[in-house]
Amino acid sequence: MEHSLVVTRNNITIFTSDQHWLHPLFELEDFLNRNSILPNELFLRDKIAGKAAACLIVFLGIRRCHIELLSERAIPVFKANGIEFTYDTLVDHIQCRTEDLITDAMSIADAYLFLRKRAGRVQGLAVKLVDVRVQIAGTLIVDHLNLDLGRGEQLIVHGANGTGKTTLLRAILGLTPFEGSIRIGDFVVGGADWKKQRSSIAYVHQESMKSNFPISAGEVVQIGLGTSRMSGTETEYRVELAMRRTGCFHLFRQAYSTLSGGEKQRISLARCLCQNAGVFLLDEPTSFLDQQGKEDLLILLDELSRNEAPTMILVSHELQWIEQLNWTSRELKGGILC
Amino acid sequence: MLELLSLTPILKGLIVLALAGVTFPITGVYLFRLNLLPLRFMLMHGAILGGAMALALQINPFWTTIAVNLVLVVFMARSSRSMKIDAGQISTFFMVISISLAFIFIYKFNVPAKDTLTLLWGNLFILSWAEVIGVGSFAVLLAGFQFYFRHQLRALFFDREIAYTSGIDEGKLYYAVVFLVAITVALAMKLIGALLLDAILLLPPVIASFHARSLKGMILGSAMWGGIFSIGGFLLSIAIDIPASSSIAALASVVFIVMYLMRRK
Repeated sequence: MEHSLVVTRNNITIFTSDQHWLHPLFELEDFLNRNSILPNELFLRDKIAGKAAACLIVFLGIRRCHIELLSERAIPVFKANGIEFTYDTLVDHIQCRTEDLITDAMSIADAYLFLRKRAGRVQGLAVKLVDVRVQIAGTLIVDHLNLDLGRGEQLIVHGANGTGKTTLLRAILGLTPFEGSIRIGDFVVGGADWKKQRSSIAYVHQESMKSNFPISAGEVVQIGLGTSRMSGTETEYRVELAMRRTGCFHLFRQAYSTLSGGEKQRISLARCLCQNAGVFLLDEPTSFLDQQGKEDLLILLDELSRNEAPTMILVSHELQWIEQLNWTSRELKGGILC
Repeated sequence: MLELLSLTPILKGLIVLALAGVTFPITGVYLFRLNLLPLRFMLMHGAILGGAMALALQINPFWTTIAVNLVLVVFMARSSRSMKIDAGQISTFFMVISISLAFIFIYKFNVPAKDTLTLLWGNLFILSWAEVIGVGSFAVLLAGFQFYFRHQLRALFFDREIAYTSGIDEGKLYYAVVFLVAITVALAMKLIGALLLDAILLLPPVIASFHARSLKGMILGSAMWGGIFSIGGFLLSIAIDIPASSSIAALASVVFIVMYLMRRK
């Protein structure tokens, strides 16, 4: 059987894949990472490549390749990045919707993130709200609200105080009763399996910031592991990994109540990572932060959206700060997202 | 003093007090962390109702007070959830209703009020072996619960909503905690009485909180201080011939003042 992708090093085949679309290249990425192989010594043979595949090949660090059927749109990408390439057949474009979605304005890193999300290779889960209504004490807070967020997408919900931003997040969490339907990935919020699945959403809110409970930073992160039963070594590894990822491992033994607002936010995000949640809901994360804390959080959220790429919904009323995040932003007004 | 310990009632008292002293302050930590302090007033009044019912119906007051407190907790939990009212607030209602029921029993069944009110100061030296075993088993259950659910409890005490979102069944855990508190209060009333039970239930966690940096530290510190107060207070009561409950409370208060002053320095 002829493979769809073959990679050789010194004329010896080290990797093959029979998958379709961009999956062979993502499999190759895993293979290279797993085996710590330097990509610049490799030669890649692919059946078909368009602009999307070209971006991925460049991102992976491959320097030489042969493509059997090559789209003309891939050529500028290869040329701009100094890739040595040959081909059997050249076509105007290939019939692939993904190729049309990669714009010239996208950097290779942006294109890579976009393709990862499209391939479902991100931590994030899709969030879908259909006709959601929330009423509290007879007052309609959320009115037939619809929202469709793809895997790994980010959304900022802004609006004046009291417009129902927090209520919306609490409805998504299943903490506030609602009418309509909310789906997280394949699960319905409040459905039969929800109890088992609700750890797929991680929540950062401000009440915990004020906690004076005697608990160390490491223990707060460990809360993310919930009811998972694992060995002490595994637990320590997961906590350390999450804390290193958010740059707060040095705070491991410090009392949580003694930390600054910015440090507490890092701990909260490490807890969410430790939870391995697909959706992060962040309620006014800048509330207790000074200017430096806000800038640090900005960088951290940007990094998370590029690497683990959880689906994130952030609620804030600080317009100046949220503009810098460069995420999709919608206003909650009159119970609906405008 | 050793001669006194050879007397069965005194020996039973010491055993029970040591077990209770080490384990009951665990529920004191729960009461503080879940802001359930009003709940203990409801349980104290529930114990008086249980005592009145037991005397009226001539049944065992020890088990009756426990049963009444558990029933009160079930009603409190159900109403708190269905009416969406804070457990502390709703417990005020049950406190009032239980004391009114207690006096109805006292009046209608001609129960001597004085006998019912002996619950307010407890009696450590009239425990049967069944009651000693009952307290011992509960102490083991309480320590086991704390150990087995330590991670979940830590999450619950840190932030209930975060515990919920991390997949912990915080609702069931909360009610398990409330049940354990109910039994503890009923037992502590039997041992040292309603008026002084805070010495064994609340002062140890308060003192432990002066230095604790984690829930583990709080629990171990509370258990240590609870053990010191109960055993030390018991021996002190024998040595200087004062009621055990008073010596336990006095010892706890002195230690509290000393620790407070040391903390201020």
